[in-house]
Amino acid sequence: MARVKRGSVARKRRRQVLKNTKGARSANSKLFRSAQQHNMKALRYAYVDRRNKKREARRQWIIRCNSATRLYGIGYSQFIHQLAKSQVRLNRKVLAQLALSNPEDFKNILQVVIENE
Amino acid sequence: MAMAHRVVARSKASTHRHAAVAKSCVVRPKGTGVTTRPARGLDFACRATVAGGEVKWVGNRRKLDLNRKYYPKKEDVDTQKKVWYIVDAEGKTLGRLATMVSMYLRGKHLPTFSPSMDTGGYVVVINADKVAVSGKKETDKMYYYHRVHRPGTMKTETLSELRQRVPERIVERAVKGMLPKGRLGNTLFTHLKVYAGPEHPHEAQKPVDITSLIDKKPKEADLAAVRAAVGLE
Repeated sequence: MARVKRGSVARKRRRQVLKNTKGARSANSKLFRSAQQHNMKALRYAYVDRRNKKREARRQWIIRCNSATRLYGIGYSQFIHQLAKSQVRLNRKVLAQLALSNPEDFKNILQVVIENE
Repeated sequence: MAMAHRVVARSKASTHRHAAVAKSCVVRPKGTGVTTRPARGLDFACRATVAGGEVKWVGNRRKLDLNRKYYPKKEDVDTQKKVWYIVDAEGKTLGRLATMVSMYLRGKHLPTFSPSMDTGGYVVVINADKVAVSGKKETDKMYYYHRVHRPGTMKTETLSELRQRVPERIVERAVKGMLPKGRLGNTLFTHLKVYAGPEHPHEAQKPVDITSLIDKKPKEADLAAVRAAVGLE
């Protein structure tokens, strides 16, 4: 076989990992072997947390809807029940954003929902 | 305003109201070449105060991107803009009082709530020495103190004894247990000001009285009151 030098292949591979771990603490952003482990953990967390982010966001919307409706004296559970009964199909994301951006529109929705009780 | 879902109008009597909602919730169908972003920036209200039961929106108006999760802006967490509340603890049940206080400290009474930021207000509690407990808790509720790494140094104290010694601590401990534990929780706890008597040094902050809101659980909502609040009657 002809002689094969490995060249810079390994260096490029390690540089890629170190590029990913920029900003990590101490050895984890400087030394490849520590950085490799750190990177693997980080990618694993990222995978899981991409799914968690959606759950967390919905949780936030529900809390914000709860706060917004309690200002008017009705809680989230009853509000959602009335929404379903009134066939209003707005989702929690939209309701939470409305409560922040257009409180008058949120009040209109509450009117619609309470009226259909 | 681009919305993810369409409002389905059901009742004929309130068609105009549904139309108003539907108009503001118009759905842009795909493929029409219309952008799903709103044409103009949307305003948003920074904070709502409940002053005497009235819902008041105050704060700066800003653009809000509907497609991004809302994260509190500087106005929401600015200490100078925080609302001060006052609660009179005289005769109030300890736990029910503490629940409400911790909610207002944390900012969970506002739609700008975020668990990682301090969007709550300051709460002043007066007459904390006259806070009430039910049942036999006055003589039977125990407070435990222990020095870590020193065996045999546990001290116990009943609620009545603590009331003689440091009455503010009763309310403080109750509220602290209901706040999140951690750096943010510690900061929130510093926003709680408890005083044993009716006097307090925070008159300059003009605290809003929220004593009447204790025990106001909208679990079985008083729909007549909600209708009034929402402006249906």
